[in-house]
Amino acid sequence: MSVDIALSELERDALTELVNIGVSRAASSLRKMIGEEVILSVPAIEILSPKDASRLIEEREAGQLVAVRQQFEGAFAGRALLIFPEETSLDLVRAVVGNQLSPDEVAEMEQEALAETGNVILNGCLATMANMLKRSLDISLPEVIRGDGPLLFELLHQRAEGGLVLFLYINFSVRNRDIRGYIAMLMDLPSLAALQQLIADFIERVVGKEVESVSSKGTDSQNASWQA
Amino acid sequence: MTVRNSPQQPHRRAIESAVDELRRQAGPIFTALEQSGLPLAITDPRLPDNPVVFVNDAFSEITGYPAEEAIGRNGRFMQAPESDPATTARIRAAIEAGREISAEVLNVRKDGTPYWNRMFIAPIRDASGNIIFFLSTHFDVTQVHEAERIHRDLQTGQKKLDETNERLRFTLAVAGAGGSWEWDIVNQCLNADARFSALYGLDPIEAARGVPADVFFSAIHPEDRPRIRIAVAGILGGAEIFSKEYRLVAPDGSLRWVHARGRCHFDENDQPLRFTGVLVDITEQKHVEERLRIAQTAGGIGTFEYVQGFGTVSVSDEFCRLLGLHLTNALPVRTINALVMPGDPPVIEQSPGLEGTSYAEFRIARSDNGEHRWLARRGEYVQDVETAGIRFIGVVYDITTAKQSEERLRELNEKLESRVEERTRERDRLWSLSSDLFSVCDGHGHHTAINPAWTELLGYREDEVVGTRFDAWVHPEDEASTHEHLKAVLRGDAVGDFDMRLRAKDGAYRWINWTFAPAGDMFYSVGRDVTQRKQLEDQLRQSQKMEAIGQLTGGIAHDFNNLLTGIVGSLDLMQTRISQGRTENVERYAKAAMTSANRAAALTHRLLAFARRQPLDPRSVDANRLVTSMEDLLRRTISESIQLELVPSDNLWLTLCDPNQLESAILNLAINARDAMPDGGKLTIETSNFHLDAASASTQQDVAPGHYVAISVSDTGTGMPADIVAQAFDPFFTTKPLGEGTGLGLSMVYGFAKQSEGHVRIYSEVGKGTTVNVYLPRYHGELDDQDVPSGLRQAHRAEAGETVLVVEDEPVVRGLILEVLGDLGYRALEADDGPSGLSVLESKQRIDLLVTDVGLPGLNGRQLADHARLLRPNLRVLFITGYAEKAAISSGFLEAGMEMITKPFAVDDLASRIRHIIERS
Ligand SMILES: Cc1cc2nc3c(=O)[nH]c(=O)nc-3n(C[C@H](O)[C@H](O)[C@H](O)COP(=O)(O)O)c2cc1C
Repeated sequence: MSVDIALSELERDALTELVNIGVSRAASSLRKMIGEEVILSVPAIEILSPKDASRLIEEREAGQLVAVRQQFEGAFAGRALLIFPEETSLDLVRAVVGNQLSPDEVAEMEQEALAETGNVILNGCLATMANMLKRSLDISLPEVIRGDGPLLFELLHQRAEGGLVLFLYINFSVRNRDIRGYIAMLMDLPSLAALQQLIADFIERVVGKEVESVSSKGTDSQNASWQA
Repeated sequence: MTVRNSPQQPHRRAIESAVDELRRQAGPIFTALEQSGLPLAITDPRLPDNPVVFVNDAFSEITGYPAEEAIGRNGRFMQAPESDPATTARIRAAIEAGREISAEVLNVRKDGTPYWNRMFIAPIRDASGNIIFFLSTHFDVTQVHEAERIHRDLQTGQKKLDETNERLRFTLAVAGAGGSWEWDIVNQCLNADARFSALYGLDPIEAARGVPADVFFSAIHPEDRPRIRIAVAGILGGAEIFSKEYRLVAPDGSLRWVHARGRCHFDENDQPLRFTGVLVDITEQKHVEERLRIAQTAGGIGTFEYVQGFGTVSVSDEFCRLLGLHLTNALPVRTINALVMPGDPPVIEQSPGLEGTSYAEFRIARSDNGEHRWLARRGEYVQDVETAGIRFIGVVYDITTAKQSEERLRELNEKLESRVEERTRERDRLWSLSSDLFSVCDGHGHHTAINPAWTELLGYREDEVVGTRFDAWVHPEDEASTHEHLKAVLRGDAVGDFDMRLRAKDGAYRWINWTFAPAGDMFYSVGRDVTQRKQLEDQLRQSQKMEAIGQLTGGIAHDFNNLLTGIVGSLDLMQTRISQGRTENVERYAKAAMTSANRAAALTHRLLAFARRQPLDPRSVDANRLVTSMEDLLRRTISESIQLELVPSDNLWLTLCDPNQLESAILNLAINARDAMPDGGKLTIETSNFHLDAASASTQQDVAPGHYVAISVSDTGTGMPADIVAQAFDPFFTTKPLGEGTGLGLSMVYGFAKQSEGHVRIYSEVGKGTTVNVYLPRYHGELDDQDVPSGLRQAHRAEAGETVLVVEDEPVVRGLILEVLGDLGYRALEADDGPSGLSVLESKQRIDLLVTDVGLPGLNGRQLADHARLLRPNLRVLFITGYAEKAAISSGFLEAGMEMITKPFAVDDLASRIRHIIERS
């Protein structure tokens, strides 16, 4: 069951926008790396339990997954995962390193190239978000992990029990390459609460007084809902 | 050059419509162009010779030509005669190629003054890339050396033109779709066109000139405003794409739905510079969409939109529901296609170069519960304006029910087919594995197909049987009944359970029990091998007979004892009288002994006849004469209290039968009659001609229509109830107490009649009496020489030199025969076994007749006769048979010139038979 119903519409929009900016930044970095147009669509977000997240990704991706993982700490903390279906990851690597390489060479470089690409995207995304929220984040070095949904969302994050997954369904497509991926941010409840507060501040800043008349009804229930 | 200079006047109308189009396409920009201080000209390359269709006042100012004089002419009309052909050629080439070009050409004003005209000409394209206009700007660059200022002018002019062009292009790209805006992020200034202004309720002039950026939010519905503020904040903060739907409140309070799509432009340092976009009024669309959404949800129609090359597809909620997926608005192509069952077409086709519309049906396994559903997808490939790629837009809907009924129908068909197939296989198995004979016969009774059992059971190959008639290889004795049954089935009657014998390839006969099933003008036959059953039945019957004979030994012994007593007593008396020398009464005793001996012989005959071990010796018989000759015997047999009446019919036909058997039959019937009349009564024996017509024959089984001689024996005795009558012909059925009768009587009569191709009928009524009719077939030939045996006659005597060879292993019998032959004057030769008989036959001796026992040791009588015939083809043969030779005897045993006499026989009988045979040759 999705628990994101707790976010007010406005907060969802704000979060989406924040992510949008982050991904935009990441994509423009990626565009520079690849030298090909990277087309973005506005991402959708969901906040899920780890279990639902793994179910959701299994529902969408049948095969093995490759993920680049980075930890972030600061105003809010957690782990960010950039997830690709395994077959997509090679495509992405090929897009990054160019077409001239033989399949063997591509395979050889996969790990490194993935880590680098992941770093560009996650870092760009997280840093931009933090920047928009007027905070800073420490981001660790990327690591590449492989496995299925349950492994990525449940086994590796037992500590985050009771935590939630901010699931960003980013739809970034590199033209002529069928590349797709997901970004997931695993955060515990205090971190999410902190993020929510930052989002509220952001809304306040952007929308100003106007917000009080339209979004107050959703705000009361928010904290309670986050804990669901 | 004159030609080039001469003004062309294309149709006014065309020009006017071109200008209209320009106004329409460019909208407010056109007005801006008109009013611009920059000399401008526009030509329409679609009209002949690319004429000028528009000039502004600034243009007229520097050229001296008012608009009406410039319009309709190619721009070259202003060229001075000495203008550089290379330059004009360059312009021409650029125009033909649709490129931008800058060039300086020497022109002449209307007042005749020459000036250097620096032109910048640029093509203007519509949404699909076709050049619809050329736009030019003009500068007087005559004073090129004081160009510092002019150069600056030129540069700003160029820039202005570029911007104007871009704006125009952008506007044309979304031609007719809505208003556009440009948000200068650095200067926080918003420029908007007239249409945008109209939607926002702004003053178009002000908006074109630039208003504070925050005006962007001014008309947005308060409920939507925060959302849009956030989104715009995103753009201002570095996001790239803007795509929002929101409501605008018009000054009159009415609401319009708009869709704003924009994009952020960055400088080299990735700093956002401008935020430009297009605003489209989607109020109508919203209504339609809402209606569509309701309709789609109600109709279970999911929609999708996919841009070729993307990894994801935009989908509707209903789409997700149909596939059993989480509700979302974007799904990976693979996720969607992976739900399709292998081998079925994908939901989203990804191969490039697709166009037009597309329809597909496929099965999916729903993601949530794995349930299999049939979906149909209908889509259309359209050019995507934004990306210049191909967009695949379509719907999916569930067609499971339709498919299921389709499927059910097909399954039903298949099942039917497979059921039929199975049945056929079963039948084939039955056909090929059954040990029963199966055949299909055509309307003439010819086999058209047989099963392998024929080969296994009878040894015939399929090709040997197919084509033959059903009655090929049938046992001669079963031919008649087989024909009857064939006729019946070919008439269309089912025939079941009839037995007949078929000759197998090895010559042995097999008993087959047949069932025929008619089918149209053909029939099926199934034959079961019942040979073993028949043999067992035979054995059983035989053993039953033996048992019965054992049972009846008492009865026979009783009879025999009486007879023997008579014989022995008579012989005793004869011996006494002869020893006393009193021979006067000897003949009486001899007669008495003879009578008893005859009766004993008759008794054994009866037994043998019953056992069917006595071959028939049919001859033409006058039944009247036979019955009359029996009168004495009959009278002696029945008691005195019984009155005997013989009623011979006049003109009685001859019949063909074994007269001895007929005698026995009559005697048997007379004895039965006597026994039925213990207190006396009347015994009547009648003869008559009888005609059985076809109609009557058909009601009676086993009787062929035709002429018969009937001999009826009637009594006035106790009679029999119907159930007894029904069993009367069963062997050994007897109502007599044990020891008093054999029960063989009626069954023997029946067997005799049947063997003679006649039949028997019984009419009986309890307390009134019984009549037994024996029908024997009419004989159309002459009466055989029918001397009634009455001692040796002269007629039997041999002619001179006639020689008979007697082969008999039993010395007493041989001696007796030799004695009789000697008495008759024949020359007799003798041999005591087959081989020695054969050596006599191989000699040159005259032999007129071979008299041989059938049951000889070594070489049997039949074999001896066959050998003899090889040496002496016309040799006549008289076989003597007894009980033991039964096996060797069958109908067809006797060839021409061969006869048979059965032991025991009267000496006189032997003599007359020998005479008869020799004479006949
Ligand atoms: C929009 C437009 C405006 C033009 N204005 C002028 C002009 O003012 N003076 C001029 O000499 N040629 C002008 N030309 C160029 C001529 O019309 C013509 O294209 C050029 O002389 C080369 O073609 P030609 O070799 O057939 O003459 C203009 C062309 C276009 C498309």
